[in-house]
Amino acid sequence: MSEPGVRPSRFSGARALALAGEFRGVLALAAVFLLGVLFTPRNLATGQSIFLTWQTQSDILFEYSEYGLLACGMTLVILTGGIDLSVGSVLGFAATLFAVLLIGYGWSAPAALAIVAITGLAAGLVNGVLIARFRIQPFVATLAMMVAARGGAKLLSGGIKVQPGAQEWYALQGPPPDVFRWMTSPLGWLGLQPATLLFLLSIAVMLVVVRYTAYGRRLYAVGGSEEAARLSGIRVGAVKIAAYSLCALFAAIAGAVNACRIQIGDPEAGATYELDAIAAVVIGGTSLSGGQGGMFLTLIGTLIIAYINKILSINNVPEAYRLLAKGLIIVAAVLIQRRKQ
Amino acid sequence: MKWNCLMLAGATVAAVLLAGCGRQPESSSGGGSSEGKRIYNIGFSQCNLGEPWRVQMNADIKAAAEKHKDRIRVFYKDAQNRTEVQQNQVREFIQQGVDLIIISPKESVPLTKPVAEAMAKGIPVIVLDRALAGDDYTMFIGGDNREIGRQAGYHMVKILGGKGNVVELKGLMTSQPAIDRHEGFMEGIKGSNIKIIFSADCKWLEPDAQREMKSALSRFPDIDAVYAHNDPSAHGAYLAAQQEGKGREKTIKFIGIDGLPTEGVKYVREGILDATFVYPTCGAEAIEYALKILDGEEVPKQVILPTRVITKETLEREGS
Repeated sequence: MSEPGVRPSRFSGARALALAGEFRGVLALAAVFLLGVLFTPRNLATGQSIFLTWQTQSDILFEYSEYGLLACGMTLVILTGGIDLSVGSVLGFAATLFAVLLIGYGWSAPAALAIVAITGLAAGLVNGVLIARFRIQPFVATLAMMVAARGGAKLLSGGIKVQPGAQEWYALQGPPPDVFRWMTSPLGWLGLQPATLLFLLSIAVMLVVVRYTAYGRRLYAVGGSEEAARLSGIRVGAVKIAAYSLCALFAAIAGAVNACRIQIGDPEAGATYELDAIAAVVIGGTSLSGGQGGMFLTLIGTLIIAYINKILSINNVPEAYRLLAKGLIIVAAVLIQRRKQ
Repeated sequence: MKWNCLMLAGATVAAVLLAGCGRQPESSSGGGSSEGKRIYNIGFSQCNLGEPWRVQMNADIKAAAEKHKDRIRVFYKDAQNRTEVQQNQVREFIQQGVDLIIISPKESVPLTKPVAEAMAKGIPVIVLDRALAGDDYTMFIGGDNREIGRQAGYHMVKILGGKGNVVELKGLMTSQPAIDRHEGFMEGIKGSNIKIIFSADCKWLEPDAQREMKSALSRFPDIDAVYAHNDPSAHGAYLAAQQEGKGREKTIKFIGIDGLPTEGVKYVREGILDATFVYPTCGAEAIEYALKILDGEEVPKQVILPTRVITKETLEREGS
């Protein structure tokens, strides 16, 4: 890879670079996986490795599905050279809204989900318009949304957690809505929860969009050089607005998943999740300066974080060592990816 | 340019509005005295309204103040979990000339000085939940986390018949309440054959507790009980067991702490938790003692409120 330019100009060159990046990403993930295999506690009764069980493996995907959804949307934004700090708050707002609609007003799950998705898109649209039309820096615009959406979530719930019976006027006073249980229970022969499937499906769809559609190519073009993209006839503003809207849409879906997971609409949900989402994207190898990276890398990045957390958790590592180890492993994972560049 | 002007105009309007709000207590106290009987103004600074327990504290204060609305009026401030904001709020109350300040401090040391300033101006201060450094305040009302942990330990020994495997889901272990709830519990189970087989720092967060419980479940085939430092963590542990799909949520006993009506008490009623231990919000008591202080009565320097256990049986006894 001796190309001098930061951004490869030819598509075939970009593909080669991307493939190499993906290979190193898989390598880093494999290294983390190996750590899990080596350092696993054993079942006290059978002596089996706890890490190498389907239960543990599916738990990892399930437990990090919200982070995965956030990282999926975040990738689009980062590819344009932007950043979205509001995803954690949008998640919290969406979780609260979803729970209020289901529990407070007794709506059906699909209707509630539709409204939550529309609200998410709207929040993203505001972000996008502030950034593309009003020229506010992404960091500032989404910081404003981060604060405002958290306020909205608290306003919506009255500062309490939304769950059946928490307020007298709620439509549901008894058991939680069925969708909560459905979203977090394994589905059919696959043994994966709908929450996990949403995460994997979102990544898969966006992978196709980013890699094979005209919109995907425009994302890279805008992130690579806005000026060049504009001169070549790309409507830069529209590309950005779409990226922020999709990002917030995924955050809203993650919010619905979060409410199902803890069976509560918590207005505080998702605080600091934006950092994990950004970390997942960057650890995957997508460049924060935009125009380089991709959705597959984000999947890898999310899995690396998820595996690290699970390995530390099943080994019951004390919190202080956990944080230290996490920092070290993140740096190591990034270095493995970079070495041959 | 246009934007700048607009923002300036907006800021001016906001400043005027704020100034208007600030003047409110003084003018209303004047109105009260003209009727012959003075209505006292109480300023209450809550460190953070993001936690349900603190929302409950505000609700308790509101309910108690409502009962005495012919005598007192309470002004509420929320410091949004920021120490410097809370320092300013105490000073704002002094400027407004309130008759008494109730504060639930975020940090002990940084708030000691502003509170001392209020005391120097002759404004009595009631400190809730977290004590201040030194003793330059009128009184402190709080719970005893170590005692709560101890009671939880005794309860655990009782329900497990003195032996069993327990998972401990801790609060943020760099915070004093979590340390006390842990140490108290260890004292409570001392001498029994109860073993802590897995413990993790869940930072008071339900999603974290759920993840850690999953790990515990995958490692240990026989878990008898879970001791969680707060009710949401206990609830998260229950859901983890339920999601595992082996029905272990029915055999494992879950114990939480805090006992809020909307959380712990509700979970006990629904059979999710075996027990929860009330961590008193001190809200009602704060108003009670505030009235005594304003009437010139002597009050103790420190009041520690007892905990009580909430189980299905106690709920039935209360008939709720």
